[in-house]
Amino acid sequence: MLIFRKLLQDVPAVIGLLILIFATLIAIFPELLVDNLVAANRGNILLRLQPPGVDHWFGTDDLGRDLFARVVLGTRSAIIMAVVVVLAAMVIGVPLGLVAGYFDGVVSGFIMRVTDVVLAVPQLILAIAIAQILGKGQESAMIALAATYWPFFTRTVYSEARRVRSQLFIEALEGLGASRFRIMAFHILPNVAAPVLIRATVGMGFTILTAAVLGFLGVGATPPSPDWGLAISEGRKYLPEFWWYATFPGLAILLLVLGFNLLGDGLRDLVDPKLRRSR
Amino acid sequence: MKRFLKSFAATSAIALCFAVSSIAPANAQSKDELVWGDTLPSGLDPHVVYDVYMQTFMLNTYDGLYRYLGNPIELVPWLATSHEVSDDGMTWTFNLRQDATFHDGSPLTADDVVYSFKRLLEIGRGPSGALAPVLKPENITKVDDSTVQFLLNEPYAPFLATLPLVSIVNQELVTANEVNGDNGTAWLASNEAGSGAYIFDPDTYVPQEKVDLKRNKTHFYGWSDNADPIDVVRAYPVKETSTRVLALMRDDIQATDGYLPPDQVAKIDSTDGVSVRRDESMRVMVIRMNNSKPPFDNINFRKCVSYAFQYDGFINVVLKGLVSRNSGPIPNNLWGVPEDATGYTYDPDAAKKYCDKAREEGAPLDRTLEIHIQSELDQTTQAAQLLQQGLSEYGVNVELVASTWASLTSSTGSAESSPDMWVHWVSTYFVDPENWIGQMYDSSFHGTWKASSWYKNAKVDELLRQGRKETDRNKRNAAYGEAYKIIVDEAADLWIYNTIALRGVSDRLTGIKFSPVGSGAEFRWMSLAD
Amino acid sequence: MLRFIIIRLLLLIPVLLGLLLMTFVLLGLAEGDPAAAIAGDNATPEQIQRIREELGIDKPVIAQFGAYVVNVVQGDFGVSAYSNRAVGADIAQRLPATLELTFVSLLIAAVLGIGFGTLAALWRNSVFDYLVRIVSVAGLAMASFWIAIMLQLLFSMQLDLLPLRGRLPSGMEAPAVLTGSYLLDSLLTGRIDAFVQSLRHILLPALTISLGGIATIARFTRSAVVTTLQTEYTTYEEAAGFPRRRIVFPYALRNSLVTPVTQIGLLFGAFISSAVAVEAVFDWPGIGSYLVQAIFNSDFQAVLAVTLVIGAVYGLVNIAVDLAHALLDRRVAERL
Repeated sequence: MLIFRKLLQDVPAVIGLLILIFATLIAIFPELLVDNLVAANRGNILLRLQPPGVDHWFGTDDLGRDLFARVVLGTRSAIIMAVVVVLAAMVIGVPLGLVAGYFDGVVSGFIMRVTDVVLAVPQLILAIAIAQILGKGQESAMIALAATYWPFFTRTVYSEARRVRSQLFIEALEGLGASRFRIMAFHILPNVAAPVLIRATVGMGFTILTAAVLGFLGVGATPPSPDWGLAISEGRKYLPEFWWYATFPGLAILLLVLGFNLLGDGLRDLVDPKLRRSR
Repeated sequence: MKRFLKSFAATSAIALCFAVSSIAPANAQSKDELVWGDTLPSGLDPHVVYDVYMQTFMLNTYDGLYRYLGNPIELVPWLATSHEVSDDGMTWTFNLRQDATFHDGSPLTADDVVYSFKRLLEIGRGPSGALAPVLKPENITKVDDSTVQFLLNEPYAPFLATLPLVSIVNQELVTANEVNGDNGTAWLASNEAGSGAYIFDPDTYVPQEKVDLKRNKTHFYGWSDNADPIDVVRAYPVKETSTRVLALMRDDIQATDGYLPPDQVAKIDSTDGVSVRRDESMRVMVIRMNNSKPPFDNINFRKCVSYAFQYDGFINVVLKGLVSRNSGPIPNNLWGVPEDATGYTYDPDAAKKYCDKAREEGAPLDRTLEIHIQSELDQTTQAAQLLQQGLSEYGVNVELVASTWASLTSSTGSAESSPDMWVHWVSTYFVDPENWIGQMYDSSFHGTWKASSWYKNAKVDELLRQGRKETDRNKRNAAYGEAYKIIVDEAADLWIYNTIALRGVSDRLTGIKFSPVGSGAEFRWMSLAD
Repeated sequence: MLRFIIIRLLLLIPVLLGLLLMTFVLLGLAEGDPAAAIAGDNATPEQIQRIREELGIDKPVIAQFGAYVVNVVQGDFGVSAYSNRAVGADIAQRLPATLELTFVSLLIAAVLGIGFGTLAALWRNSVFDYLVRIVSVAGLAMASFWIAIMLQLLFSMQLDLLPLRGRLPSGMEAPAVLTGSYLLDSLLTGRIDAFVQSLRHILLPALTISLGGIATIARFTRSAVVTTLQTEYTTYEEAAGFPRRRIVFPYALRNSLVTPVTQIGLLFGAFISSAVAVEAVFDWPGIGSYLVQAIFNSDFQAVLAVTLVIGAVYGLVNIAVDLAHALLDRRVAERL
């Protein structure tokens, strides 16, 4: 728990953590902030594009729905997106990285070549193509993002596993006749856990951003989902007069991703003293 | 928001920006240069590409035998001087004018006309759909240098109405640029071989981004009715709506597209020097229902859907009354609409009654229905969400599926792959009820996007075919009117409104002559003040 | 060194082939069928079927792939089924615009990032240090298309300082094409007016894209400079009475640049990605807006070609970054 206490001394990391706790809370219990959840999906068309005010803190959108309620509800889809994509990418990427890092030979080479190919194009470009092919919607966006994010984990785990493998205690274990699975699962994996955790934290923020781009380009979430990227994409058509429509969802993205980044930064500092900020 | 922007601007960014922006913009537009902000067609071959944007290019750089002008729309002889049609309605003879020349100076003759029609049919894309069923390439013949004859397979009343679709291209020029028997399509995709009032400048062409057109001073029509024509038109499309509106207000462009979102209209109208033109067009918004799929095969369910949509709310509030209600499959400003036509209104009680009836009859209303929208077109999303809200009152669950024009039109090839519902418009390609009701509800058009309701009614088929063959306008009118009533009564689709074209224009730009075909984008009558 | 470049270039080929195969298989799985879109708004079912045959969509995927690879090797990316234009020509026309935008963004990110990072290291734990950290993390957290819209709102709409869109004012003639970059071309041909205008036009989009990069570069620069400043030889130099300025610039910074430079290769990929959305917002006539257009039109040839070209450019930039790395760090050079 020493690590945790150290983390708590890092003010920005704590801010990040608080943002994430807050976001998770309202993702699970949006009622805490919004009395009338129905208003998020059913607007009064006579009250469309109302500016921010007492009744509608963030104003209303083009169908008269309360933007504040929609931004709050959008938190859930953003967090689900981030968690599902990163977990799926981990489930694919980490074992592949372990195998490739621990073994030599054809399989390892093949895994790393496939990784190279996927990484040869910026993630977004490939994700757009995949999302488009799978048909639009949040699910295909998730699959597309997971399918293009796993190589980052493979790379990270691969290089860490290589480093650990060359250490003396692994050789010793091999000499003692420990099974390969056992070595990978119980000795190498814990050693690569820290970089994977950091990668996952930062990856969630990154995923939210990329998903927003997909939503913006029309290949992500579909209406009437309260997705933030989609809302910006819809709202930009009402600029500059109805500025609130595109502004608040963007600020929500900023805040949540900031949370993940600050926490990720803090974790990185703990693990990697080379990047430690304050000396 | 403001504070955020301020703190943001406080970073070094602002220093950089100010340093450069202190140099005054040299953005003064010259008097004779119009910057046209509407979208460019995907390619420039008038026999290949066929969409609303193509009409701007076609009308300005090419000529056809006939042309649509004005609003209410009129079909006037253009390259043709007159025509005769045989009593059986199958042989059409056209006399051509002698003084038309192509942009390279060569005369436009009957050979070019024959070549152009044959080329169109041979390529088989774009506008050929309206002609291919009734015209075979070998039945297009040159009688003499200024006479062309067409022999149709069967009587086809809308034939004359489809003629403006066919641009006459320079045979010599196009055949000289043929590669591997491609009919010159590769070359013409980025070039022009026409005779129109404006000349395309190939050096300036960047697909989808920009192109310059220069005035053709020797066009046969002459320039006597425009004392101050525009010499250079720079077509420079602005992609984002908000950017487009701002570009207009800053005088970066002098005209936007013709389909501005109604929410931007007040903003433009209240700005000095720019305003929004409102012209009633012929472009009907439709929510399609796949009549072949349960529960849409149940007429009571279709009626329930028809009564569940808030037409007035959508038209008057969302679209700010800048469209006109059109409750059937022919634009109200065209003939063919029966005088006693009635449509559907928003009526929750009626909707409930019909949905209950449909349920009793065993229609599977519990299934989640899909409505496909075109994600880049806001109104499709808004209409779909209104319908979704309306139907949820009666326990009908509708899900929105975002799609694009390309994938929607490719899914309408079969009844199974066609969406439950989708939202689109039917624009004017040729001004005849055939363009709307005829191609939308005659079952022989099944498999095209226009007929994607998979509506089938033997009586309607018969009436529509009669309307297509009959040459007498009154009889045609009666046939379409009867079909119209049956289709509306059977609630084949939801017809929402007829478009009023909304084009933002600079006050400096005068002389726009609107026509539903081309939406007032013919540059020949325009002038630009200082 | 030359051997290194050749080996790296050769290694790029199988990767690109794999990439091509992957996108090709993916697109083969796509339901989208361009035939209907190509046929136009008034097509009959027979027309659509005919186009489908013309496009060879009904042939097996492997045969289509083989034919495609052969053509690509010959430099022919095929004809866009959608616009009937040669895809290669379209990309060639648009790629320079994207590269110009990306490189200017990299330049802004590098200059500001290294500057801020160095200052933050020198004044570490000061208010400035915190400010840089917060702004830089926030820069990483902003959706580029959103900040693009916000910058437009502020600089073009409210303050009316910078142009909204495009590369040049609509009436202005583009400079003669030498490199395809308007900035370079206008300088080379002495067109000062065009240079000023293209600079004004590129500022907002480039700034938008660079925001995410400033953060990364500043962070790595800061930690590298901190590390260098704490090494023994700087302590020695300091003790020997060198002024602090002389220590930071020639010695510390050069030694610290290695890490940020390696980041630039990765950033390039991120920048190309943000260019896709940012180009659409600013009407930048580049390859990003072309890709978006192609995807919406199910224009397979164009999507394949763009993916491949971006992959190739990305690969080349990373080779260049490794070379720069070697130039900055002798130890790396020896390993090449």
